[in-house]
Amino acid sequence: MQSSLVSPAYAPPFRIVMKYFITAIVSFFVLNLMLTFNYSSFSGNHFQPKLLSITHIMSLGWITMTIFGAMFQLIPVVLQVKIFSEFLAEIQYWLFTIGVITLVYSFWFFLVGLPLLIGAVLINAAIIIFIINITVTLTKVKEWNITATYLSAALFYLLVTAAAGLLLAINLGYPYIVGNHLEYISYHLIVAVVGWVSMVIMGVTFKLVSMFTLTHNFSIKSGKWAFGLINTGLIALMYELHSKNQVLFIISSIIIAAGIFFFSFQVYVIFKGRIRKNLDAPLKFTRTSFIFFLLSALFGLSLSISDLSGIINIKLAFGYVIFFGFISMLIIGQMYKIIPFLTWYHKYSSKAGLEKVPTLKEMYNERLCHVEYYLMLAAVISVPFFVLLKLYIMVLLAFIVMLVSVVLFIYNMIKIMVV
Amino acid sequence: MITSNLKISKLLKEFPDALKVLLKASPHFAKLQNKLLRKTLAGRVTIEQAAAIAGIETNDLLRELNETCMAGGGSEQGDPYSEVIKEKKEQTFINQGSVDDFASYRRSYLDVRPIIDSGRDPLKDILSKVKTLLTDEVLVIINSFEPVPLYSLLGAKGFRYFTEKIDDAYKVYFYKKDWAAEGAEELPDNREKLPGNITKQIEFENTIEIDVHDLQPPEPMMKILENLQRIDERSVMIVHHHREPHLLYPILDERGYKAVCNKIGADSFKILITKKTR
Repeated sequence: MQSSLVSPAYAPPFRIVMKYFITAIVSFFVLNLMLTFNYSSFSGNHFQPKLLSITHIMSLGWITMTIFGAMFQLIPVVLQVKIFSEFLAEIQYWLFTIGVITLVYSFWFFLVGLPLLIGAVLINAAIIIFIINITVTLTKVKEWNITATYLSAALFYLLVTAAAGLLLAINLGYPYIVGNHLEYISYHLIVAVVGWVSMVIMGVTFKLVSMFTLTHNFSIKSGKWAFGLINTGLIALMYELHSKNQVLFIISSIIIAAGIFFFSFQVYVIFKGRIRKNLDAPLKFTRTSFIFFLLSALFGLSLSISDLSGIINIKLAFGYVIFFGFISMLIIGQMYKIIPFLTWYHKYSSKAGLEKVPTLKEMYNERLCHVEYYLMLAAVISVPFFVLLKLYIMVLLAFIVMLVSVVLFIYNMIKIMVV
Repeated sequence: MITSNLKISKLLKEFPDALKVLLKASPHFAKLQNKLLRKTLAGRVTIEQAAAIAGIETNDLLRELNETCMAGGGSEQGDPYSEVIKEKKEQTFINQGSVDDFASYRRSYLDVRPIIDSGRDPLKDILSKVKTLLTDEVLVIINSFEPVPLYSLLGAKGFRYFTEKIDDAYKVYFYKKDWAAEGAEELPDNREKLPGNITKQIEFENTIEIDVHDLQPPEPMMKILENLQRIDERSVMIVHHHREPHLLYPILDERGYKAVCNKIGADSFKILITKKTR
């Protein structure tokens, strides 16, 4: 039995966290506008300026921005340490935001010289500040757990992704990479998605999802297996880039997919052990996103071991499932939990018990959240099919459905923060 | 100056060295190393009662404590207090009964040893058992040490006690003498003979238990805050939680409450909330 006398408060820095979240939500809206109005660019391979622009506002402005905010919010709660420096988090915010805007703008108009380089440098500076800030914070963690392990690995992959991105940006303007530029892109992409984004999501899932599904005392054995497998696969894949060994590529893909299976099983254990059997709308988003994660793993595995990658638009379909089906649905589900909570804590916790305060469910319209869920699900399922069938008008329609869903999401978020 | 009516919890708070003295005095005090029990049990027990529990002389213990904690200040002052102690002792134990009183009663047993061993405070179990006790029943509490504070606590509720020691265990019988014959008249009388302020002395007489295991954030916090006003100087709120509520602490502090958290298991925490003293 262990006991602790309580004095320090590990309250998350509300203002900074919200700043990151709001910017992320704005990015999500903008990227959906860009996608809808330029639906015709959503075809062919992924090396198109407009698509590169959209991919980066998605991965940096929406996803990474959210992760930054979530880290500053969750690390104090989950690992019981205070964030090392809120000032650094503030500096990082501005460097990153300006960097992303510059980068996205440069890609859109394909200004591959200095503008792109400036964007990439600013983003790298912001990321290095983030890594320093979080690394120092993590050294103060007293009770290390699986979430901290995942986050540490994720930080490493973030650094690799950013550095690779910078090299690619330099190369676009001032070509120096010998060999196939495109291979470095897929490497940059895989480390970003599987190493950085997924590693963070997985690590946080154990704590965050179980906190809201109210699952206690579950075994995290599969979670540990997933960690070992995915990291082994990623390291092997990094080596493969240099050795160009097709067999090794297939083996590492299988290992990564196996890791994701283990993780999916872990998520299944968490959901199965929940106390409340009814899933609310945010948890529906969460559950569905994990199904898309598993589907993405299967999809990716079949792409790597077969000739399917020759099919026109198949990588776009794959990317759409990962970015919208898995990552965005997960973020939205979790934002519906975190943002009302943060706002509630900020606005009402000092009044709770003394006067009437709203419950989280009263802070947003849950019916709208359900509508949003089905609209988004419809878009995520239909876009891959329409794009493979080259029914671009239908793709446009699906993008509009997605946009409507995003507008509903923003409406609810504003309601939470303002009302 | 440490006196016999000082609560053990206060003693340990003000003089951390006292723990060593107590541990040396009797192995019974090993339980005080458990902070949860220190907070609950020790909050009700005076030094005098503690000495009785351990089966040692109150004056010896007091002298030892004063010598260690007050840096040699109070040893010769010990004697005037011993008079007071003797007098109080008689008052406290006025409700002692005899085995004949309840010979015909049915017996209801409660072994509190496993409860204490698991780190819980058995008071709630005892009080709830007392509530359901029938008129012709005697409550038999089995414990590893003599539960001296219970004598006065249940005495205030009109109970008499009888204690016997069998090997290492104490069996304490709590009963009300001939309910039908004495009725309501006897009880207030009985209570008057007890020191008038005895209930006031007892810290944490009430335990408010809240279970927030199956609530999503921030509902646990809401539930705890809504129940805060039920805590007064004599009450302790025990919250059963699935994680440590870090965000709750600053709010509790702001409202004049303090909390101690005990980790029972990976997903099991017990938070004790009390009013801040002064």
